[in-house]
Amino acid sequence: MAAPPRLFDRTLHRRRLDRAARAFGAADFLKVRAAADLVERLEAIMRNFPVAVDLGARTGVFSRLLAQSDAAAKVGLLIETDLSARMLAARPGARLQADEERLPFASASLDLVVSSLALHWANDLPGAMIQIRRALKPDGLFLGAILGGDSFTELRQSLMAAEAELTNGAGLRVAPLAEAYDAAGLLQRAGFALPVADVDRVVVRYAHPLRLIADLRAMGETAAMLEPARPLSRAVIARACQIYQDRFSGPDGKVSATFDILTLTGWAPHESQQKPLPRGSGTVRLEDALQAVKRERES
Amino acid sequence: MSTSRTAAPEPEIDPRLLEVLVCPVTHGPLTYDRAARELVSVQAGLAYPVRDGVPLLLPEEARRLDG
Repeated sequence: MAAPPRLFDRTLHRRRLDRAARAFGAADFLKVRAAADLVERLEAIMRNFPVAVDLGARTGVFSRLLAQSDAAAKVGLLIETDLSARMLAARPGARLQADEERLPFASASLDLVVSSLALHWANDLPGAMIQIRRALKPDGLFLGAILGGDSFTELRQSLMAAEAELTNGAGLRVAPLAEAYDAAGLLQRAGFALPVADVDRVVVRYAHPLRLIADLRAMGETAAMLEPARPLSRAVIARACQIYQDRFSGPDGKVSATFDILTLTGWAPHESQQKPLPRGSGTVRLEDALQAVKRERES
Repeated sequence: MSTSRTAAPEPEIDPRLLEVLVCPVTHGPLTYDRAARELVSVQAGLAYPVRDGVPLLLPEEARRLDG
């Protein structure tokens, strides 16, 4: 089987996260939103999860929100992982430094895996999801939020236009992202039952495009491509800011930045779950059923 | 590197955490060497460090076992 193409430099990504750890709280609004949403979903699920893992926990946003919620009592042990040791430092609780692409969990050992805004940096997202499904016990739950869809579309368009204008061609400056319809398919191919993917669009208004870039840096979300393009010159950045302001500013002069948070839900298969009947096992002909509906309408 | 046993007490690792951990390379078992503060994967020939009670399960950060 051919290995998927590697796009992201995990060591560089780790350094970006290390660098971002100290001031992460200043720009963690997306992480907070995504994690709060996962907590809400857990509140609605009438089930206990004795052993849970938060993949890419960063500074522990999910853990703090969970502790304040009605779902707190449902989770026994919460194990937090991150690629960056600095993100995990200086707090109690079960933590471990690990790579989302090489999970260190035994098969069928976990009741719940959550992840908010970390897995979009995986080189092999399907592979990571297969590893998660294997680590889950039968009927275990995966709840994952990733940045996808049209996230950063304004920045992507502005940078490409500026580079195309000022240099010979444009490089990949913003990471490629999954779409919601890809995501549901991914869940299914990774062997999850009852897969669901939905999108939460967040549009943030910034006084200046550079503020957006500063936020991305603070989140450790600046692109960590395996083959970095030439560094962006000041001229290209200045031009990209101009284009950004021309195309994406409102009457108040502020620019908008789109973030699409895709939330993926899937269950490790278990015989108790609802599932379609095998093909050919029906006892009523479709035609008869439709005739019955028709007769009902006509009567 | 020092593995002195008189240093500040190492925070304990939750036994429930140790129960679910395996080697990220081989998915084989890990043995906790409390004195050396390492999680040892015999199959992979790697010893993963434990720093401040936090296991560091990245193969590139692990110590190669000799022999």
